[in-house]
Amino acid sequence: MAFLLKKRKKFLRKVLLGATLLALGLVLLSVLSILSDHFFPSHSLSKEPFYPVLTMVLLFVLAFKPLEKFYSTLFERYFFRKKNYAHIVLMNLTDELEMVLDLDELANMVVNTFGEVLQLKTAALLVPAGEQEGFEVASAFGWHVSDYRRLRLDWSAPLAALVRTSGPHVLVRNQVIQAFSWQEASRLVYDFDLIRAGWVIPLFAKEELTGLLAFSAQRPDRVFDESDFHFFREFGRRIAKSIRNASRMERLKKLNVELQDSQSQMVQNTKLTAIEQLATGIAHEIHNPLTIISGKAQVLLLQRDKFPIDPRIEDVLKTIVKQTKRAADITRKLLMFSQGSGLSSEKLDIPQVLEDTLALVSYQTSLDGIKITRHVSPELPSFYGNIHELREAFLNLVLNAVQAIGTEGEIQIAAHYDAQDRLIEVRIADTGKGIAEENLDKVFNPFFTTRHNALGLGLFVTKQIVHHYGGAIRVESKPGAGSLFIVRLPLSKQAQEAEMPASLAGTNDAI
Amino acid sequence: MKRLLVVDDETEICDFLKMFFEDRGFTVTTANSGQKALDQLDQVKPHVILLDIHMPAMDGLTALREIKKRLPDAKVIMVTAIETRDKIEEAMRLGADNYITKPLSLDYLEKDVQEKVTQLAKSGKMTESV
Repeated sequence: MAFLLKKRKKFLRKVLLGATLLALGLVLLSVLSILSDHFFPSHSLSKEPFYPVLTMVLLFVLAFKPLEKFYSTLFERYFFRKKNYAHIVLMNLTDELEMVLDLDELANMVVNTFGEVLQLKTAALLVPAGEQEGFEVASAFGWHVSDYRRLRLDWSAPLAALVRTSGPHVLVRNQVIQAFSWQEASRLVYDFDLIRAGWVIPLFAKEELTGLLAFSAQRPDRVFDESDFHFFREFGRRIAKSIRNASRMERLKKLNVELQDSQSQMVQNTKLTAIEQLATGIAHEIHNPLTIISGKAQVLLLQRDKFPIDPRIEDVLKTIVKQTKRAADITRKLLMFSQGSGLSSEKLDIPQVLEDTLALVSYQTSLDGIKITRHVSPELPSFYGNIHELREAFLNLVLNAVQAIGTEGEIQIAAHYDAQDRLIEVRIADTGKGIAEENLDKVFNPFFTTRHNALGLGLFVTKQIVHHYGGAIRVESKPGAGSLFIVRLPLSKQAQEAEMPASLAGTNDAI
Repeated sequence: MKRLLVVDDETEICDFLKMFFEDRGFTVTTANSGQKALDQLDQVKPHVILLDIHMPAMDGLTALREIKKRLPDAKVIMVTAIETRDKIEEAMRLGADNYITKPLSLDYLEKDVQEKVTQLAKSGKMTESV
């Protein structure tokens, strides 16, 4: 039936094409004759014997291909609309897919167009999942997302094995099952059912199996003919190529991210070890003299047990002890910042973390005439994180603000809780020199700096830390108008549970 | 008589600790290196030892190992300029009885040392020979 249809279609197309060419030729010929008679009556072209032949040949050479294409499309669309139109749409899709390098987008386009155009019940695109594990569904038409999210077709499953050995032939469920013994067939049925397939198109890009296109029809008695299978093979070959390109892109992207991560980890590690060593050395060298000063003052102070001492002297001694402790606290804080290793999370109070950070720069800012104002919301929930990491993240931002200002200016620190998005937002604004527009997207890059004596790691490290907590950081700035850094830190599940109102827990208990 | 051994590479620190604890009825011996502390150990037989962690040549942790071998009943309080967690953990694992950070609060230190002495007395180990 399909065979006859195809022949008839071809015949009709040829006849129409010939007739059109002939008609066009005659029209052109007569127009040219009239024109030449009118303008050059002396040697009219119409009297030349080869003139009509030449014109027809020229016309045939120039117009045959475009006309054939035009008729072919016209025929597919209007005479045998349903099936061939579907094939054309799908072939056009494969052209489009060559430009798509995102695997998810590609998979969505394939299954949805394929499923809709062929009026299928289900269509699923399976791609290899990880190393030698099997296939997972990249996208599916006619499935519920939750049905395929965890679905795996093992690499060793009978169907997967069959595809690997049988090559790019379309597998028809009923035929395949009949070709095997009962036991093998039942295992294959399981696989076909798993991916809801009546037909499976293996997607081979050259020798490489890049995926499977599994689909099932609305009616169980639907059949596809030879031309359909030809089409499926060609379609499969084309999308296999696109999938291969997209998965290579995906792998490259993943490798790139891994590389960046390990790079930043390396930068972080080297930096921390250097600072830690430095801070340990400094703290040690400073704490010993402080111990001597404070110790001797305490010994003197304790003399009051034996004989009375002048209250003014007692005051002086107490001040010495107090101030040495203060100095030691500063070096201790410096040290805490440097000890990033063993990053354990704990319940943190963000305002306190901000205060600790500001305490470290308070000497510098008072010297430089920089005013610090705080707008910290009193109702901030606790945040689960590593105190050293968060302090470092904020310290880098504050130091950045201090350096942008130089002398005389203001740093505004604001923090509030966004109940809708369940996150804590910290804003650090300065009245400093601002950032040039072309540098705005570079400030978080490692080793980017506009200062000669800086490493350019501060904001990069801050970004890494913020990302580590699933947060985001961005900057708004104009040259001369200061900068605003916005850090958004989402509350972890742990923190959200801790935030659950006690009254609610109480009612639960009562029930 | 309560005997105290102070080990610190800073002689000034040894000096005021000696002054302070002698006022409180201790017999205080000082040593400004781990090796010197070990050299005097058998002779002094201290009840409590204040041992600095960071010292050149032989550090506090090495000295601690040797002390715990030779005088297992002596109470050792580690003194450290900074809270390097790993060093402190290692010291506690090696048998140190407590640690205190510099700058020292003498009130706190005195309480701690007295407490160790009391512990020894209760367990009947406050004999002349430890």
